[in-house]
Amino acid sequence: MAEPGAGTAAEPGQGRTEEPGDGCTEEPEGPRGRWTAERRRLRVPGGLWLVLPLLLVPLPCAGQSRLPSPARLRVQAVNTNFSLSWEHGGSARGVTFSAQFQWPELKETGWQELPGCQAVAGTGCDISSAISEYYDYHYVRVRAQAGPLLSPWSEVLEMVPEHVAQIGPPGLELQSTNGVVKVMVSPPEANQKTKMWINDLSFKYNLVFWENSSHAQLQSKTIFPVDTVDDLAPDSTYCFKVQANLPSEGKQGLFSPVSCVKTSQKVNDLLCATNVSVQALNMKFHLLWDAQENQGVNYNVQYLLGFWKKLNDDYSDKWLSVPRCENITSTSCNLSSVITTTGFFYLRVQAREGHNKSCFSREVKVDPLKTNEIGPPGVRLDLSDSLLHIIISPPGGAEEEVMRDHYHLSYRILYWKNSSDMEEEAKQKEVKQTIATVSDVSPSTLYCVKVQAFSEPYNKSSAYSNQECIHTPAGTSLPLIIFGVFTGALLFVLLVATPLVLLLYQAYNKIKYVFFPSCQPPMNIEGFGALPFSTPYLSAAEESVENCCVIESMVTEEGNQIVFADYKHSKQSSRDSGNYSNDDNTSGSKGSKDTLEKEMV
Amino acid sequence: MNTFGLIQIGLILSSTTIISSLQCNHLPLQQRKVIENSLRLLDKMGKEFPQQCLREKMSFRFPAQVLQPRQKEAVEVAIEEIFQHIFYIFSKNLTLAAWDGTVLDQFQNGLYLQIEQLEACVIEKHTQHCRSKDVSRLKLKKYFQKIDCFLKDKQHDLCSWEISRAEMRKCLQLIDKVTRKLKN
Repeated sequence: MAEPGAGTAAEPGQGRTEEPGDGCTEEPEGPRGRWTAERRRLRVPGGLWLVLPLLLVPLPCAGQSRLPSPARLRVQAVNTNFSLSWEHGGSARGVTFSAQFQWPELKETGWQELPGCQAVAGTGCDISSAISEYYDYHYVRVRAQAGPLLSPWSEVLEMVPEHVAQIGPPGLELQSTNGVVKVMVSPPEANQKTKMWINDLSFKYNLVFWENSSHAQLQSKTIFPVDTVDDLAPDSTYCFKVQANLPSEGKQGLFSPVSCVKTSQKVNDLLCATNVSVQALNMKFHLLWDAQENQGVNYNVQYLLGFWKKLNDDYSDKWLSVPRCENITSTSCNLSSVITTTGFFYLRVQAREGHNKSCFSREVKVDPLKTNEIGPPGVRLDLSDSLLHIIISPPGGAEEEVMRDHYHLSYRILYWKNSSDMEEEAKQKEVKQTIATVSDVSPSTLYCVKVQAFSEPYNKSSAYSNQECIHTPAGTSLPLIIFGVFTGALLFVLLVATPLVLLLYQAYNKIKYVFFPSCQPPMNIEGFGALPFSTPYLSAAEESVENCCVIESMVTEEGNQIVFADYKHSKQSSRDSGNYSNDDNTSGSKGSKDTLEKEMV
Repeated sequence: MNTFGLIQIGLILSSTTIISSLQCNHLPLQQRKVIENSLRLLDKMGKEFPQQCLREKMSFRFPAQVLQPRQKEAVEVAIEEIFQHIFYIFSKNLTLAAWDGTVLDQFQNGLYLQIEQLEACVIEKHTQHCRSKDVSRLKLKKYFQKIDCFLKDKQHDLCSWEISRAEMRKCLQLIDKVTRKLKN
């Protein structure tokens, strides 16, 4: 930020050790920085400290007196009219003031001359032409000039135009009809090209009115740009004034000029519908009203989307007829086709008789989710083992999804034992799902249940459902169950398990016996297993063919048949057989077998 | 500060909390529903973004930092401001946009409902002296001023409207994200 030369150089009258510099040592720290005029102090030798106080006192006889800088700068604004003002303590004669401003968002840096505030005589000036960006930080400073004398620059004032600006007065028009006053407010900068308050729909208008009498009591009401004030005394003069406010910015606007009007006589038209009300259950909306006259009156129900009232224009042409409620004679109307869940609605009933007479009823405002009542849910009970199941069907029928979605429904379950002798307190359970289970039910008892749906966010609850009761079966006691299980197990063991075990044991034994026999054959039959069956032992005495008495003992396979054959016979036979048997085992054995058989026979 | 002063402050704070919780419990739930609905209606009111308008697309640079969830109330105030501006933008000179009037009306109606609720529940109690909120508000005003000027310069023709609609959709999607985060 360049230090303007005029700041320090063009101050010849100063000639002091203390130089009030500004901006020499600091730069603006961006939009949020604060400029402070720092006084730069020169280091002075110790001895001069005694002399300094004398120098500071303005000597009356000195030719050059110090011109103080302006102080307490203030910017005030109404809408886009900005005015800068300050205070100056110096002599009033011939003193003019000049101002400079700076606006960091601008490409050119440095202090600029403030248009409309150069060499002004008074302590204020209009700076509206210089301010164009209402949301940016601006910096302003002023100094005084008296002839060649220039005061130092004042402290820099930092400001945001939009913060400083006040809301100007709105326009007000009044119309007195039929005992009510129609109020039409136009926003503060209605026809201006450049506006401070671009969003003129965000204003909230505060109407203040009073009866023009001695004991005037001020009444205050928040109104829409086009609105009506009723409940006024007929044939009296009322005075009104309105201000535009921005509550979100904490701004209260200036009041409009006061305007007065006389109310007319209220004509009590018997044609009009009265007691107009909305009833809603499970998102089914109905409008109901009373008829004052019974004969020949046709009704026409109209609705208006809430936001039209927020706009500055007249909304009388924005009313729409509710389908199937045009030219009806009944005093009720089903509104469900026009009411949606997001948004306000206004409703009115037009009563018509013939072609000429028509009367609009009062308007009724509907906030659908707040006006709607939640109906009771359905309840069904089920038993399994020792558990009681409570099955809840959500309220709403066809609209149940809409309701569940918007209300975040939960259910409150009341259940109690319904016995004639004992009075037991009902227990309560809250659930978010549509199924609940009660586990501690006693057998052979009558349990009764009723359920209520509620919405925690909207603080709404439905009526309780019908009472449903169920009788729990006779309880199976635990010891019986244990005994039953035991008996079953026992039978299983006896009938199935034991024979199976025995069977397995027998099989095991058989296998063991066959493949791993425990008894050994006697020692004198050793090696028996090696010779085949077909070659029985024969006596070694076969080789000697002498006729001598030799007792032959033949051992056959059986082992215990020892045949003592007659010597002769056997010899002969055996001789032959012996020869044979010595050479050829097979034939020999056959032969010997035959002889043996013969002998035996 | 003596004990009595502390007690007073405690009572005031607790009473405002109680009052707000009685009337305004439904606000977070309703806000989510309104935003969901608004996004759906914003898509429904017109057709796809026209190809010929791609050339004219410009970046408005929404100040997303105003929605950083530092403090719940500051964010709610910013959201209220945004809804007010969107409501204002969509309130006039829409003939050249050729959108579905019924859908547009419902869109506006939803925004208006939420603005009223936020004003009743949040604005009334929020202290007006927070400097930090002022900076957010200024940034938002500048952003919406840019869009307003853009529409005026193009005389509210079809392309300028379509570009603005796309920009508002981005805005609402950001708010949707923040609203869900705030709830959790």
